[in-house]
Amino acid sequence: MKWLRTFTSRLYGFFSKQRIERDLDSEVQSHLGMLIAEKIRRGMTPEAARHAAMREFGGAEQTKEEYREQRGLPLVDGLLQDVRFAVRMLFKRPGFTLIAVGTLALGIGANTAIFTVVHSVLLQQLPFSKADRLAIVWSVYGNEGRAPASGPELMTIRERSRLFEDLGGIWAQSGALTGESEPEQVKLGMVTANFLGILGTNPQLGRLFLSSEEGPGGPFVAILSDGLWRRRYGADPHMIGRAVRLNGQPTTIVGVMPPGFKIIFPEGSSVPPEMDAFVPFRSQLASDPPDQSYLRVIGRLHDAVTVPQAQNELETIAAHLRSKYTTFVDPPLGLQVVPLQGDLVRNIRPALLALFGGAGLVLLIACANVANLLLSRANERTREITLRAAMGAGRGRLIRQLLTESVLLFCCGGAAAISFGWGALQLLLALQPKEMERLSGIQMNAPVFAFTFAVAIGGGLLFGLAPALGAGKLDLAKSLKEARQTSSLASRRHRNLLVSAEVALGFILLIGAGLMLQTFAKLLQVDPGFAPANVLTFRVSVPWEKYNTSASALLFLRTLKENLGGIPGVEAVGITSHLPFDDTLPNWYSFYWPEGAPKEQQNVIMADHRSILPGYFKSMGVTLLAGRDFDDHDVAENLKLAITDDTVAQEAWPGQDAVGKLINIENGNFVRDTAQVVGVVKHLQYHALTNQVRGQIYLLYPHAVRTHMAVTLKSRRNAQTLLPLIRQQVAALDKDLPIYHVELMTEYVESARQQTRFVTLLAGVMAGIALLLACTGIYAVTTYSVVQRTSELGIRTALGAQSRELFALVLRQSMLPVALGISIGFVLSLLLTPLLSTLLFGVRPTDALTYVAGAFLLSAAALIASVLPARRTMRVDPMVALRYE
Amino acid sequence: MAPPRGEVLQGTLDLIVLKTLEALGPLHGYGIAQRIQQVSEDLLQLNQGTLYPALLRLEQRGWISSKWGSSENNRKAKYYSLTRTGRKQLLAETESWERMTALMSRLLGGAEGA
Repeated sequence: MKWLRTFTSRLYGFFSKQRIERDLDSEVQSHLGMLIAEKIRRGMTPEAARHAAMREFGGAEQTKEEYREQRGLPLVDGLLQDVRFAVRMLFKRPGFTLIAVGTLALGIGANTAIFTVVHSVLLQQLPFSKADRLAIVWSVYGNEGRAPASGPELMTIRERSRLFEDLGGIWAQSGALTGESEPEQVKLGMVTANFLGILGTNPQLGRLFLSSEEGPGGPFVAILSDGLWRRRYGADPHMIGRAVRLNGQPTTIVGVMPPGFKIIFPEGSSVPPEMDAFVPFRSQLASDPPDQSYLRVIGRLHDAVTVPQAQNELETIAAHLRSKYTTFVDPPLGLQVVPLQGDLVRNIRPALLALFGGAGLVLLIACANVANLLLSRANERTREITLRAAMGAGRGRLIRQLLTESVLLFCCGGAAAISFGWGALQLLLALQPKEMERLSGIQMNAPVFAFTFAVAIGGGLLFGLAPALGAGKLDLAKSLKEARQTSSLASRRHRNLLVSAEVALGFILLIGAGLMLQTFAKLLQVDPGFAPANVLTFRVSVPWEKYNTSASALLFLRTLKENLGGIPGVEAVGITSHLPFDDTLPNWYSFYWPEGAPKEQQNVIMADHRSILPGYFKSMGVTLLAGRDFDDHDVAENLKLAITDDTVAQEAWPGQDAVGKLINIENGNFVRDTAQVVGVVKHLQYHALTNQVRGQIYLLYPHAVRTHMAVTLKSRRNAQTLLPLIRQQVAALDKDLPIYHVELMTEYVESARQQTRFVTLLAGVMAGIALLLACTGIYAVTTYSVVQRTSELGIRTALGAQSRELFALVLRQSMLPVALGISIGFVLSLLLTPLLSTLLFGVRPTDALTYVAGAFLLSAAALIASVLPARRTMRVDPMVALRYE
Repeated sequence: MAPPRGEVLQGTLDLIVLKTLEALGPLHGYGIAQRIQQVSEDLLQLNQGTLYPALLRLEQRGWISSKWGSSENNRKAKYYSLTRTGRKQLLAETESWERMTALMSRLLGGAEGA
């Protein structure tokens, strides 16, 4: 601990210099005074005594200096001196400083913005207590790897698992709140009683569900979200115990969740984040039919249990389930556990990492530019540095001084980068894809600032090192003799190397952006299988308390359809259970097989099942490939008919005509049933534009009754202008009926392109910045070399060289490193772009056109950047040039 | 003619100062310098100024502490005194010094040491 005491004492000395200085001064004065007095007492004259005392004391100033060095922190003192000097140097050359800081702000700022997103989305914990312990359990059937579970599955896992603390399930539904004010459609989470407790969030009012509240005959209870509580009930503090009418049933509120509470489930899991209310299941989950899969299962792992351990246990449980229920035998049921956080970001992660990598390349280019500036700067300062070395500054001290300058420069860049990055972040957030929306709280925080300054300081040390070491190695005599420094061959080679590096990195970014651009263009060309233009959609839920038979529900929907069709300008009206690219309600998919298929061919392929009324295909512009569309007669006769898409027709009856065949499907009551195929339509992209997930089977509404339906309304003009008329028609039919999710079909299609658009735009911006920086670098280097060589060019002119030849010479020398850079970039791109393949669509990572176009674009830009300064050679006057010395 | 004066051996000044403070109690810089010269009978050449960095060093290590006071002639002066850790340190250093000198005399074959 001795060093600690010494250090604190020195630290104290460092911060109270003046007081200590005064102290020492009076102490020395007092000592001298006593010495002089003694000498006078012995009979010396005051003058002689004074001199003798001074001699004996041995140099007061020297003592003080020695004292000072021991007193404070000489290293810090030196550093402060270096920083003061560096600040002066930066202010002395504002142009240089501004360009360097601006370049760094671009380079570091891009990283700050992307890192903020990466940190919040990929690294930060979810807003649940011990969120790293939460995991999702998916059921696996054949190639269907992310299926929901049935009641018996969840209950068996919960009963047999030792590694999960607890497991629960949720099923997103919608419910209607009626009574006190106007009717409202709400997102309702039907949950197991333990579900909210597993997430670990406590209610702000009341309590969570009790296990006795789940199951048949339980009380009607609900927990509200903060949003609904505020919106509909004016944040009533006495909400607990109050009864509201939910789905026509008086329901007692037992709790209110805190503000900001979200159910964060992966995209495609049909669990929307903003639930309005939660109710416990009213069925006995354990005795549900085992083939009714609708539960999204989340579990909390015991501390210290790893995901692979849990996976092992689940495999044993899956084996048990297969032995207990015949439904799970063929195809064999599997169970898969994935950490919640990892599952959430699985789609966005490759895109974010690619963008982070791209931002890193931009930073390297920016650093190369600044290193270039620093090199030129060091060259110009050779005399100053030589002089300082001659005056006795040590080599270490000189290197430290130059490093301080470059680190200071990079830190200024870092500070500017934070404001630039903040602006860039706002842009990112405005464009954010859906996956990022699920995770809120993307903001700049301490780790982001730490990252920014770590990058700045690291960059300053790394890129300041070369010029600093160069200065440390100066040959004093030679440098002092040289009247004016000419650029040495070595420093020219350094500069050319930097240009090559910049061009190579820029080329990689150009290729990346080019590939993304092609992907986006391909996405725009993708035919989703329907015509989204001028199609307005909205959702409506059949209120069961009023239309409690399927006949009355059908009548309601047919009347709605007819009334809407009567609006002037409406071309066609369709009604469907599922809209393309709509993730708000659970998907409905099940096995199908040609009727009479042998047992081993049943339960093999799944298809999306949809419930529709005649007119849906017309309103969506879906092409009928064979057979006929449903008609009103089919509905009236309650026929069991099906229309399949070309995928199902191909899978079920390859090489045959599907029309007229019988198909085994799941009907609206989740029961196996048979329907006759009357038509084949083109496949619709329901889930993603880029890949076909499953085939589709369309059933008639009476055969597949659903509560939540959507209306598709094709109009001649802008469909949005019809909205008031639509609302009027719905209200005329049933004034209590809410319509919700009013959206244009084009908006749904747009949302499917959002991630690609996001990545493409960012990659484009980065490539643009990279191109700009690389060109600035080339321009600067060429200009510098022309200026440096003015006298050489003058001599050449005097010896008879044509100015055109000189121009060509300069141009050739400046384009040589560019060509080298493009070649290196070409090879690196070939190696790196396969990493992007998950983001690409319709274009190979080695797409020849992209590479050729990239090389052409970069060469053209580089040519322009070097021609501008190279033209100076044309104006070199030999006399002026020779006198330039 | 004065006899040739010896330089203060590197590292011994600390020991000398500590010993002086132990013998005389709280003392100012001038007093310490006088005492050293008196005891060494001017055989030791001491630039009195070098005493101050040494005093600072000892104080930083916590072996001595300082306080402003006034001298016999009412002059403001800084008084140094030995701390408890300083006393321990003095003991340890004296021992090691004695071991060292004993070793040196034996090595030099009983000849008189410097």
